[in-house]
Amino acid sequence: MRETYDAIIVGAGHNGLTLGAYLARSGLDTVVLERRHEEGGGLSTEELTLSGFLHNVHANYHTFVDLAPPVRDLEIRRHGAEYVRPEVQMASVFDDGTALTVHADLERTVESMARFDEEDAETFRRLHLEAHGYVDLLLGTLMYQPPMSVKELTKALASFGVDERSEFLSVKLRRESIDEFLDQHFKHPKIKAHLAFHAAICGYTTDVKGLAIGFPLLVGKIDNWHLCVGGSHRIAHALWRDLAQHGGTMISDAEVDHIVVDGNRAVGVRLSDGTELVARKLVASTVDVEQTFLRFLNPGDVPPELAERVKTAVKHKDWTLFSVHLAMTAPPAYEAASFDPDVDRAWVVNLGYGSPADLDEDWRLVRSGLLPDPRPNAAVNTLYDPTDAPAGHFTGLLRQFAPFALADGGEGEWDSIARWYGERCIRAWRRYAPNITDDVILDWAPYTPLEIARKMVNMVGGDWMMGEISLDNLLDQRPLPELSQYRTPIDALYLAGSTQHPHGFITFGPAYNALQVIADDLGLKPWWRRI
Amino acid sequence: MADVYTEEWFEAVRAAINVRVANLREVPKGSILIAVDIVGDAVSPYVEAGGERHFLVQIDDGQCSWYREGEPDETQELSFRFLGPAAAFDEVAAGLLDPIDAALKGTIRVRGDMRFLMRQADHVKALLEAYRTIETTWPRGAPPYVLGCETANA
Repeated sequence: MRETYDAIIVGAGHNGLTLGAYLARSGLDTVVLERRHEEGGGLSTEELTLSGFLHNVHANYHTFVDLAPPVRDLEIRRHGAEYVRPEVQMASVFDDGTALTVHADLERTVESMARFDEEDAETFRRLHLEAHGYVDLLLGTLMYQPPMSVKELTKALASFGVDERSEFLSVKLRRESIDEFLDQHFKHPKIKAHLAFHAAICGYTTDVKGLAIGFPLLVGKIDNWHLCVGGSHRIAHALWRDLAQHGGTMISDAEVDHIVVDGNRAVGVRLSDGTELVARKLVASTVDVEQTFLRFLNPGDVPPELAERVKTAVKHKDWTLFSVHLAMTAPPAYEAASFDPDVDRAWVVNLGYGSPADLDEDWRLVRSGLLPDPRPNAAVNTLYDPTDAPAGHFTGLLRQFAPFALADGGEGEWDSIARWYGERCIRAWRRYAPNITDDVILDWAPYTPLEIARKMVNMVGGDWMMGEISLDNLLDQRPLPELSQYRTPIDALYLAGSTQHPHGFITFGPAYNALQVIADDLGLKPWWRRI
Repeated sequence: MADVYTEEWFEAVRAAINVRVANLREVPKGSILIAVDIVGDAVSPYVEAGGERHFLVQIDDGQCSWYREGEPDETQELSFRFLGPAAAFDEVAAGLLDPIDAALKGTIRVRGDMRFLMRQADHVKALLEAYRTIETTWPRGAPPYVLGCETANA
């Protein structure tokens, strides 16, 4: 292992690899260090059940494809990542045997909604068309740029007269929950339930005040869900290839013990095996701020007030995910297919949330550390990617909103109840798709919130978003106002992980935005199309 | 009166911007370079279908220094890029399409730092409103192109 690099990046998740690849293409001698045995972080695909069944352990849904500049700049497709946009993106199946389907084709979605309420369906059409425009504007100018404040954003929305121009976007949304937004614009509980469910799987808790301001943006990309052929880990491979082809290095099993600081400047890292690596120009951390400031840095190197705020003021999600991965001989055949045959082709299916109140009840239980009666969502990737299972076979993924620490026994209790709760989730699926019998399921494996935290130590408390999604933890408040612009109080130490704006999910945004700051600081001439 | 997308028209837009900006209490300091990429859409007669025309607008301390046809060279760093179909830009120039509406609806795509747009909203509005104040002539037909390019000028 060489000992001196221009740039040292801690963490080889998608943000670490993305930043590394950009810097390597910029001519910097770059190394990306990974604690685990492979790169990718949340882009993890493993044979959790049987050989030949590829399960996405964390990131399964890719909603920023062709919106995120790195997909183009780093030639991710040329490096082997292939995305598919399922025709039937999503569905909800309800207890009365009906189903609502969301399609890549807006008209098909409107038709499906109109079977429940024609007026709501037309409202959705107008919302989607309007929001689709916001998506381009806001992603292009807000998401892939260092963050501004909510106050500035709302002031400007007012200044541009958005309230008068828009039916749905309004300054007052910053005081409202998604539930309230839905109540104002829609009538039918099932349509509201599906839209609330979609927001929830995007990480937005539907009863939290202020998150309505992000809701139109979510609707604008409700039909932009992609899966990665061969598993999400292919994206990590593609990023690694780009890094390697431009002279960068990724080192796995390289656990950082310490970020070395000399005279308030980050000058390198020491690994847990004692190896010291020197950084001529910068160190960038893509892991959680707790590790970065409380573990990797000496207490004397961190301003005491910042250390205290990292300990006490960093906000994490108050719910996480319990998953069940399945190897199957058949795809689900939903009873609701007699109502809407397209439900059998839906990639992701909400099993049983029939109104926003159902979700709110589960949020209440989860916040109390209690387990809801499972109403998981089910994704069958094989429907659109036959390569992820042996011929004639299927993978399945159930995800249930769940607490990290259980009221009875804390997080450690997950190890005891994982299979019991997993069986309950499978039974919940079977209620709507009776063909998913024990004969059809060749094998299954639970994946608990505790396992998330064990495997991805930067996902503190199973926080797969690496920070709460709330108005006081977005934009320039994320993860703390003083750390929100990717720089730190320590010279040459940057933050480029999902703790930063915009947030978790495979957005590539934190790395891309940190890159702009680093480029400015180092005087790098951007080879990428910055604007 | 100036034919659209000519030197005379650029100069008229520049002058109109500066008149409006002069009335603002606050203007952004420093230099801003804006690229406008107009894509031929088989509707506008001013850009060949499938082709592109590129304009550059230089703003210094709020005032428009120059407005011309061309693309940025390697030494010029862009602050913003506006990209969209030619008919949409024609309609903006003709005062028929509100550019803010067009941006909100994604008809005209905006790339750059939203913080600047937001913080300098009054300045941005002054720039955009300048188009409405100049008298433009349309030698190959004027928007809206309801009848098609060949007959719109009749």
